Amino acid sequence: MKWHLSIALLAASCVLVAGNETLESEFRTNGTLMHGVVERARQSLQEFSAVVYDGRKEIAYAIVITDDGYLVSKWSELKSAKELKVRIDDQLYEEVKLVSGDTQWDVCLLKISATGLKPVVFAENSKADEGTWVIANGATSRSERRPMIGIISAPSREIPAEGGAVLGIEIIEQKGAIIAGEVPEISGAFKAGIRKDDKILKLNDTALKKRDDLVEFMKDRKIGEKIEVTYDRKGKQQKVTVELQGRADTFGKEASRNDQMSGDVSNRRSGFPRVLQHDVQGSSKTVGGPLVDLDGKCVGMNIARANRAESFAIPVEELREISQRLADQARSK
Amino acid sequence: MNVRLVLLFLGLVTMGFSQDPKRLSINDKKAPANTEDMRAIESALKGSLATARKATVCLELGQGSGSGVIISADGLILTAAHVTGGVGKEITAILGDGRKVKCESLGLSSDTDCAMAKIIDKGTYPYVEVDRSDLSKLGDWVFSLGHSGGYDKSRGAGVRIGRLVKVADSTVQSDCTLIGGDSGGPLFDMSGRLIGIHSRVGANLQQNMHVPIREFLRHWDDMLQGQFLGEGPFAKKPKKGTGFLGIGSEDGADGKLRVTKIGRESPAETAGIKEGDVILKIDGKDMNNKDDMQKLLKEKAADDKLVIMLLRDGKEMEITVRLAER
Repeated sequence: MKWHLSIALLAASCVLVAGNETLESEFRTNGTLMHGVVERARQSLQEFSAVVYDGRKEIAYAIVITDDGYLVSKWSELKSAKELKVRIDDQLYEEVKLVSGDTQWDVCLLKISATGLKPVVFAENSKADEGTWVIANGATSRSERRPMIGIISAPSREIPAEGGAVLGIEIIEQKGAIIAGEVPEISGAFKAGIRKDDKILKLNDTALKKRDDLVEFMKDRKIGEKIEVTYDRKGKQQKVTVELQGRADTFGKEASRNDQMSGDVSNRRSGFPRVLQHDVQGSSKTVGGPLVDLDGKCVGMNIARANRAESFAIPVEELREISQRLADQARSK
Repeated sequence: MNVRLVLLFLGLVTMGFSQDPKRLSINDKKAPANTEDMRAIESALKGSLATARKATVCLELGQGSGSGVIISADGLILTAAHVTGGVGKEITAILGDGRKVKCESLGLSSDTDCAMAKIIDKGTYPYVEVDRSDLSKLGDWVFSLGHSGGYDKSRGAGVRIGRLVKVADSTVQSDCTLIGGDSGGPLFDMSGRLIGIHSRVGANLQQNMHVPIREFLRHWDDMLQGQFLGEGPFAKKPKKGTGFLGIGSEDGADGKLRVTKIGRESPAETAGIKEGDVILKIDGKDMNNKDDMQKLLKEKAADDKLVIMLLRDGKEMEITVRLAER
């Protein structure tokens, strides 16, 4: 008896050591079994998050901020959409107007014609410390939003613009003057009307003679700051206002090894005044929607999938202010 | 015979049923059942996080950076072999509070990605407990720390949560997402005990591989003594003959080996060897002529240390040199 038992146990222990044990996918952190545990949060996503489409393609999520059809989302993911549509709960809205936006935060305001929507329920504050559970939109079906869970990963903080904030002009120094080289169409400078070969004379009240003057002026500037640019085109002086953008967002950037590891990340992922960092495993298409706590209250808005291990959200304090401001401006027009 | 088998049997039973008082009870459920279970996981993690974070360091060497974790008050660090890349390398560790300290890599296991390093600067350092009894199991909730993408003071080491989704002998897999810079960083159970070190990732977000702590325990003493174990792939054994000292010498008429030239910024110059010094011994071996020295250097590689006994102005002195890469 003892013989048999001990041999059986020995065999069992061998299997344990040599075997390759695997946890079935439904039990994993984002497995289907976890969905039920965060049902309250999932309900919130169902009610006040919206799926944003370009035609039939899902491109982002949004947050319903008023019962009469104002939504906010991540601006840069929507800018080039040709046929914006949104779905709230199981209802599809085919007429969507991109009303306005905030460059600094990369947030835009959308309007659909609807009444009786359930608007976002904001958490009192975003004082969620590291380790706090957070839930965001994962995959979606026509009728149902699915949750993805994670935790707050780091203290809330500023994410400075990668490579700094820029006007968006390639600088050529020529005989004591600054001449515009290439001006990418997506740059703030191009939008303000500055073109190749314009001579840049002044930034606000600072006269430019050499490259260093400009470098000094641009030091520590932030995305979204507005700069008055005086330039000369064929002997005629003009003054325009240029909104600063991130260098990587304007001129592009070579993918690093970490980027290659990260898959589908957001194009604009830096230059935010303050973010919450979390580890919900999204993609560039899962941003724009709410980040909620276990009680289903909105603690922020997912604003960037930064890399394989890091996602950023605008904290609720700032989100509330931005949403209010954009909606008020839209109503007063 | 009978007695031995019975002992083995008893041993297995105690192992199988050993109670771990610190074990998070949710770990024995297949999945959390309700919000209370979720809160229990959250509060366990928060309770362990502060200590774990203080002991998680960023390791900078050469062009790159990785992570590591301090496991003793005098500054012993566990990390990955592909982070240290060799034995006896100089490393700068950045502590949780931003303080920089000097380290040196100890031994490593190049086929399983284990490595040790030691803080050289004297001090008392924050450290974590190692799960020496190897108590973690498949499905356990875990958290990972690391300096993703390099050191960022305003962020610190980012924390990620997950479960152990695959357990094999020399690798465990979790769904805590890792990225470059996290390599060598710690994986903890919910009581804050170190159970693994980050090693590599797969294409899928759920493929995050760690070296289990048992692999470190297996090679502990050898690594502590600075041995290079295994044949790779996580670190390459330095090639003999690649060490660079940076002196010119000649055999004197008096039968002495005399230094005639010191290379600029060479290891010899850094260590303080001067023109005119007479080399008496290296690593305890008598050096009578250039041949003796060349024979000895042929067996040495970059980062090897030489203890050189010199004669300068009639006085004997000992100088330690770390060889550079030829």
